[in-house]
Amino acid sequence: MSKEKSIRNSIDLLLDVCSLMMTSGANTKRIIDSVNRFAQVLNLKSHALISHKSIIMTLVDLETNESYTVVTQIPRHGVNYSVVSDVSRASWVAVNHQWSFEKLYNRIQEIKNQKRYPFWLELITVSLAGAGFARIFGGDYLNMLVAFTATLIGFSVSKTAHHYNANTYVRVYLASMAASLVASLGILFGIGQHPDIALATSILFLVPGVQLINSFNDLYNNHILNGIVRFVSGFIIVLAIGLGMITIMLIFNLNVLG
Amino acid sequence: MEFINLDLLEKAVWAGIAALGFGILFNIPKKVILTVFILGFFAGVVKFVFLSIDFNVVTSTFLASLFVGIVSIPFAYKVNKPIVVFSIPAIIPMVPGYYAYKTILGIRKFTFVKMDDMGHEQLLNSIFSNGFMVLFILFAITVGVSAPMLLLGKDMARKLKD
Repeated sequence: MSKEKSIRNSIDLLLDVCSLMMTSGANTKRIIDSVNRFAQVLNLKSHALISHKSIIMTLVDLETNESYTVVTQIPRHGVNYSVVSDVSRASWVAVNHQWSFEKLYNRIQEIKNQKRYPFWLELITVSLAGAGFARIFGGDYLNMLVAFTATLIGFSVSKTAHHYNANTYVRVYLASMAASLVASLGILFGIGQHPDIALATSILFLVPGVQLINSFNDLYNNHILNGIVRFVSGFIIVLAIGLGMITIMLIFNLNVLG
Repeated sequence: MEFINLDLLEKAVWAGIAALGFGILFNIPKKVILTVFILGFFAGVVKFVFLSIDFNVVTSTFLASLFVGIVSIPFAYKVNKPIVVFSIPAIIPMVPGYYAYKTILGIRKFTFVKMDDMGHEQLLNSIFSNGFMVLFILFAITVGVSAPMLLLGKDMARKLKD
C-alpha cells in the first residue's frame, strides 16, 4: 500500500513514530530527536508535546507555511528494543539518503509489523535470569531451581493477564502473587539452604527496570514531567509487586527477613 | 589478581545470563544478543571484584555501569545500533530489586506485626537504609551508564551521521 505525501499523511506518520517509540521504551530525548530528523527529511518542521499517554504535535510545511495540529492517544506500553533501534537507525539513514515519503512510510510499517521472540524463548530465558539472580544473591542450586520455577509460573501468569488486557498493576500483582506462592512452598518445605533468597529473586523479573532508568534519563535531559510520570508509574509497579508478596506471606504466615 | 576466583566468575556468568534474559524480554535485535551477554558478564565481573575488595555497593554499581557505558560506545559503532539497546539490558541485573524487597518487607512488618518501640526503631532504621540504597543504586546505574554518552554526546552523534 502506498500513500502520497501530504501534510495530513505526514503528521499521521510522525505521530505513529512517536507513539511507537514511546510504547517501546525510548526516552523522550531520543523520540524528539528521531521525529525531528524525519520531519527534516520531509521538509517539515515538527513541534511536539510528548507525554506518557498522549501526544500533541504541530507540523509546519516549510514551503507553504501551512500547519496542522493533531492530538493522539498512546496505546499500552511494552518494551521493544528492536523497534527503538530500527526507528532510530531509519531516522539517520533517511536523512543521509533523503528518503521519499513513500519509502519512509513503508519502512515504518515494516518495523511496526516485526515479530517478537516466541513466547517459549522469553519464558525460558527470563526464568534462567530468575535463577541467575538467586545465584548472584548467594543461593545454592536448589534455591536456583525454586527461583526458576517461580519465575516460570509468574511470567506465565503475567503473559496470560496481558492477553486478557488486564490493568498493568493488577497484572503485576497477580504475577507477583503466583511467583511468591511457588517460592513460599520452597520456604515451607525447606528446599535449599536459603529459601528466602529464592523468594526475593523470584519476583525480580517484574521490576520495571527500563521504566526507572528512562525516568532518570528524562530527568537529566530536563524532561522533568515525563521523568516524574515514569518514576511514579514504576514505583506503583514496585508497590504492586510488594503487595502481591505480602499477601502470600500473610496467608502462609511467613516471617522472613525485614 | 587472586580476588578473581571461580565463584566470582560463575556469578558473573549468571549476571550475563540474567542480562540476556531481560534482553530477550525487551526484544533486542538478534545481532546484539551475544554483545548483551558479554557486557552483562563483564559488568558482573567489575561489580563483584570491587565488592570483594570492600567497595560500597553503590560505588561498585556505579563503576560497573560506567564501564558498560564506556564499552558500549565502540560496540554501538560496530553493529550500528543505538547504545541503549544493549547497555540497558546489560545493567538490568544491577537494578536493586533485592533492596526494594527488603524495604517492602520492613514496611510490611512495621504495619502488620505488633512490637515495642525498640523494635519499631530498628525497623525504621532498616526501612530507611534499604530504601535509600534503592534510590542511590538507581542513581548510580543511570548516571554511570549515561555519563559517557552525555559527555561525548554531540560529537559522537555527528560522527554517526557521516
